[in-house]
Amino acid sequence: MRGCRWKLAVGAIVATTTLGACGGGTGDAGGGGDSGLLIWAGSGTGGDALKQVAQRFGEENGVPVDVELLPGDELQTNFVTASQGNNAPDVVCGAHDWIGNLVQNGTIDPIQLLPAVREDLQPLAVQAVTYNGQVYGMPFTMNSLVLYRNTDLAPDAPATIEDLVATGQQLQAAGRVTEVLALPVSDTGNAYFMYPLFTSAGGYVFGTAPDGSFDSTDLGLAAPQAVTAYQQIGALGEKGQGVLKRSISAENDLSLFTDGHTAFMVEGPWQLPNLAKSSVPYDISPVPGFADGGPASPFITVDACYVASRGEHRTLGQEYVANFWSRPDVQAAYQKAAEAVPASLTVLDQIRDTQPLVAEAADIAAQSGQIMPSIPEMAAVWDPWGKAEAAVVAGADPRTTITAAATTIRGAIGG
Amino acid sequence: MAITGNQAGPQTIAAVGEGPPTEVVRLGTAKGNWFRRVGWSHLVGVLALVFSLFPILFVVSAALNPVGTLSSSQLLPTRMSLDNFGAILSGSFPRWFWNSLLIGVLSAALSMFISACAAFAFSRFRFTGRRAGLLAVLLIQLFPQFLAIVALYLIFADITNLWPAIGLNSIWGLLLLYLGGALGVNTWLMKGFFDTIPKDLDESAKVDGASHAQVFFGIILPLVRPILAVTGLLGFIAAVNEFLIASVFLTDDSVKTAAVGLYGLVADPQTANANFGLFAAGAVILAVPTVALFQFLQRYIVGGLTAGAVKG
Amino acid sequence: MARSTVDVDTARPTGSPPGGRGRAGLGVGSDGTSSPLGLVLKIAALALLAAVAVWGAVPLVRTQNWIGLAVLVAVTLLGFYVYLSPRTIPLKYLLPGTLFLIAFQILPIVYTVATAFTNFSDGHRGSKEEAIAAIEGASVQQVPGSPVYDLTIAADGDPSTGDLVFLLADPTTDQVFAGTSDGLAPLSAADVQRSDAGRITAAEGYTVLDVAQISDRQDDLTAFTVPTDDGAIRNQGLSSAFDGAPQRAYDAGCDCITDAASGRTWTADDGNGAFVADDGQTLAQGWRVGVGLRNFGAIFTNDVIRSSFLRIVVWNFAFAFLTVLITFGLGLLVALALNNPMLKGKTFYRSLIILPYAMPAVAMYLVWRNMFNTDFGLINRILGTHVNWLGNTASSMVAILLVQLWLGYNYMFLVITGALQSIPKDLTEAAGVDGAKPFYAFRTITFPLLLVALAPLLISSFAFNFNNFNAIYLVTQGGPFSPDNPSAGGTDLLITYTYRLAFGGAGADYGFAAAISVVIFLIVGVISVLAFRRTRALEEVN
Repeated sequence: MRGCRWKLAVGAIVATTTLGACGGGTGDAGGGGDSGLLIWAGSGTGGDALKQVAQRFGEENGVPVDVELLPGDELQTNFVTASQGNNAPDVVCGAHDWIGNLVQNGTIDPIQLLPAVREDLQPLAVQAVTYNGQVYGMPFTMNSLVLYRNTDLAPDAPATIEDLVATGQQLQAAGRVTEVLALPVSDTGNAYFMYPLFTSAGGYVFGTAPDGSFDSTDLGLAAPQAVTAYQQIGALGEKGQGVLKRSISAENDLSLFTDGHTAFMVEGPWQLPNLAKSSVPYDISPVPGFADGGPASPFITVDACYVASRGEHRTLGQEYVANFWSRPDVQAAYQKAAEAVPASLTVLDQIRDTQPLVAEAADIAAQSGQIMPSIPEMAAVWDPWGKAEAAVVAGADPRTTITAAATTIRGAIGG
Repeated sequence: MAITGNQAGPQTIAAVGEGPPTEVVRLGTAKGNWFRRVGWSHLVGVLALVFSLFPILFVVSAALNPVGTLSSSQLLPTRMSLDNFGAILSGSFPRWFWNSLLIGVLSAALSMFISACAAFAFSRFRFTGRRAGLLAVLLIQLFPQFLAIVALYLIFADITNLWPAIGLNSIWGLLLLYLGGALGVNTWLMKGFFDTIPKDLDESAKVDGASHAQVFFGIILPLVRPILAVTGLLGFIAAVNEFLIASVFLTDDSVKTAAVGLYGLVADPQTANANFGLFAAGAVILAVPTVALFQFLQRYIVGGLTAGAVKG
Repeated sequence: MARSTVDVDTARPTGSPPGGRGRAGLGVGSDGTSSPLGLVLKIAALALLAAVAVWGAVPLVRTQNWIGLAVLVAVTLLGFYVYLSPRTIPLKYLLPGTLFLIAFQILPIVYTVATAFTNFSDGHRGSKEEAIAAIEGASVQQVPGSPVYDLTIAADGDPSTGDLVFLLADPTTDQVFAGTSDGLAPLSAADVQRSDAGRITAAEGYTVLDVAQISDRQDDLTAFTVPTDDGAIRNQGLSSAFDGAPQRAYDAGCDCITDAASGRTWTADDGNGAFVADDGQTLAQGWRVGVGLRNFGAIFTNDVIRSSFLRIVVWNFAFAFLTVLITFGLGLLVALALNNPMLKGKTFYRSLIILPYAMPAVAMYLVWRNMFNTDFGLINRILGTHVNWLGNTASSMVAILLVQLWLGYNYMFLVITGALQSIPKDLTEAAGVDGAKPFYAFRTITFPLLLVALAPLLISSFAFNFNNFNAIYLVTQGGPFSPDNPSAGGTDLLITYTYRLAFGGAGADYGFAAAISVVIFLIVGVISVLAFRRTRALEEVN
């Protein structure tokens, strides 16, 4: 009979939980014991810096603040589900391209930017968090891809892709490197990293309406430029010059660069702190375009904090996002802790001398970047687009490949 | 031959109990003899070890390499240091580790008990709905659980509002959730084993006046000890390694399990590579209790009916 | 329900009425609990059950959740009945697990099936009221030309019950106001104290609230605005306020949303859960409605599904079957080898062989994917080849099965090792001694007995692998993909393929995913029921 009590105890516990499952739904969130402001952020880069900033808010206002770091790739979905279950945090911080989906689910509220705050922020950062004419988040960092080069191997920044390939192939022939360029392609493709080359060759993702918003009916992959762009990209691929390879992915590009296997790497400024730890001498420059093409425009992504519509402490959340994060001293504190590219112009001026590479990355983004669309339709684009690029790099016919991708995307957006 | 025979002799006797060492008679040359008796076992064992371990060597070498990354890892570390272990042990990891142990042990023990009870019922009683019940348990496992996380989250959001102690952000809530799967695969596994135990055993006990509970606890459970140990171990590993649901349920740093915390290190592709050394160190530490538990349970797994006969 | 027909309880010892007599009585000892210790434990456990039930009932009563309370009472009574009645012996063993199963496995499935008949997806998650609130809330804009005030939140009288008051300072004109639900009233500069930055810190007749007090009154604050000519002043956090007006408003009369600036209207379409304009443009924020069989219709009319479905089903079955076969095969071989009674170092081998199972699977999938890398992977380096393992269908199938073997054979090894111990030694010894052929003993005695024990496990292992999302998604992501079809890859299972279809649009489409889940379940369920019937013979072996 030893186990009987376990059996019964367990049964009793189940009884109560079953109940919650069956009978819940009318439950009230009440019951006191509020823990103050609750913030969700991604567990990736900058998570700890966000914690420090939140700590400061708590001290200034005398309220407990809790920052919970969730696995970044699930944060958005979890936040939407939690909002649906009336269990949302008060503030969520994440990439600006979530805004479209968060708004269509009614999970975040717009905020009003004071004119002084708006002037302090990089204009593109404000534009990125603006959706349907409303500002939804307070940007704190702004990233776009840059070209890293090993200054021992390649002292001068290449002006064009052709220059880069020539330098890389010389080094390769001399046995000093094994790869011309580390640009993440991977087996299933990565359209984010390929975008500078794609734009230089004339491609675009979505057309823009006169008011600057994205027009989901004008799909760039279906435009004729997309085919010519992919012909140029395919020429750099595995059956062409061998510069772009599916075997290089975001999982190994940094190692290739820091181990000296390649002189060039296309990556984001978030790698700057990682590179500072390596022994490779490096510098950054804009990602070059094709000699006969237009400028190469990487996507700009902005990280921002948003006020949750269904948080328990909305007023505190608004204070945190709209009135606290808008202060340059807070933005500076974050930048210092995360070594991230600042969204605040004041902070950018402050770090020009002390962190020249970060400032340079900010300038590159401001000069050549394009804001990554935040419309929900973008979710339908990434997967087929990346696969099409991987196929082109592998040597598939650009025209049939890109047409198939465009058809798939159209089907997903339409249905 | 004589030497080999001497070596194997006591072992053989121990293994077969009172049986005489008759094998000696049918063995060939010393060399072939050794291979047929033990050598092939070593061969299979070594090959299995190599197959099992070489990807793990990767992880271990990344853990030992202070700049260990996923892609630059080699089978043997190029640099050795305990930096990654120091770094991960100084963070929240010890707390997560403790949470993992707690939920792993409780979930394993309770699941094992629940499924043993159910397997006993399915194996020893004939009642209306028995086959249907068994089939239902299997079919439930077959259902593609796309929306399970959403549904469970909404269920637990309601539970949290009523009983915060067993809701979201509570390892007790997660424990309850894990027990929901107790009647799944393990019931089938155990029922199979219960079926191999001759019914005569419990019949004769019943004749002697034993109640069903005495048959279950006194006769059946001791006989299926190996499989109890196996399901316990499997349950422990499953609970300790589960992260998909746990990472949705446990958002507060202090209640996270180690799997959730470690998954957070590599979930973001931007940081996965750079964090891999830390992650690997955590994964190696997390494997220690599993191996220790296996060591502890091994005597039951291989002991079983012939307890004491084999001293591997 | 489950009623025992077995003869276990007829052999019940003294102290309880014989089961054959009409209705057996209820009582702590009436089910055959004979030992005093058993009785004590049983009483304690039932007392605990009652205590937990009371604990669980308190919040239900407080929130007046009567349905929940009724379920709680019913489950508690069921528990008492089952453990006090002599007639419910199988249920005594099944009840705990069954309750958990219902709560955390069956309810989610019911939820999924119900979802299959709705348009539940991103943009259609909540109720119509929530959608309207979201549309109105998202359209609040600052009244042109109005200032952003420095705000101090105060109360008229008691901090926790007094009416809320906004003490407002206009930084451009330096004027101060008191905003109440009646409107904006100027304050005399003499009646207020202000900080260096211009914010009001105290005002005659009002109680300034601190952060904690404001937090406690969040619900009042959400409902509170100061009406103005053009809109209403609402707070933004603790320290600022602006005059804003929603640009879009819902009109119950026409069941539509009207945009104040453009005059455009969107009329509710309750069949699709969205507000639609005359030209077909819809507002992003919709709501959840039932759509009948539409999701199922979409499955059978989807060209991509029709063209790839058969191929994926075939591979799906092959994948699940081969995974079970190879993991069982290797597990069996290793278990037999290490079960050799003459082998030294068993513990060493066994402990290390189960290591792969102890490592976090997600990490090992990552490691394996890297090992298959064409240019930098360990496998090509060791073999001296330059194979793009994950780049063509056949080799990626081999690769994925190899990963499955690595991750899964330890499990089979462990289970088979346990099973081998349960096989009575005298049987195998007899065969081994007489026949002098170990393999003969294995084939005739050990293997059939193993199958009795393991056949159910093999079926459920098949079931698990049939839907093994992680294995595919983390290693090949379903790839390789042919250039002309990015939605169905060479190693896609039904579940990864479904995932891509349902979550690859403009947001996750749970309704569609649920419908495909139901269809997959019907397919694999029918096949498993057939397989289950074949095990009928096996299970009666004794």
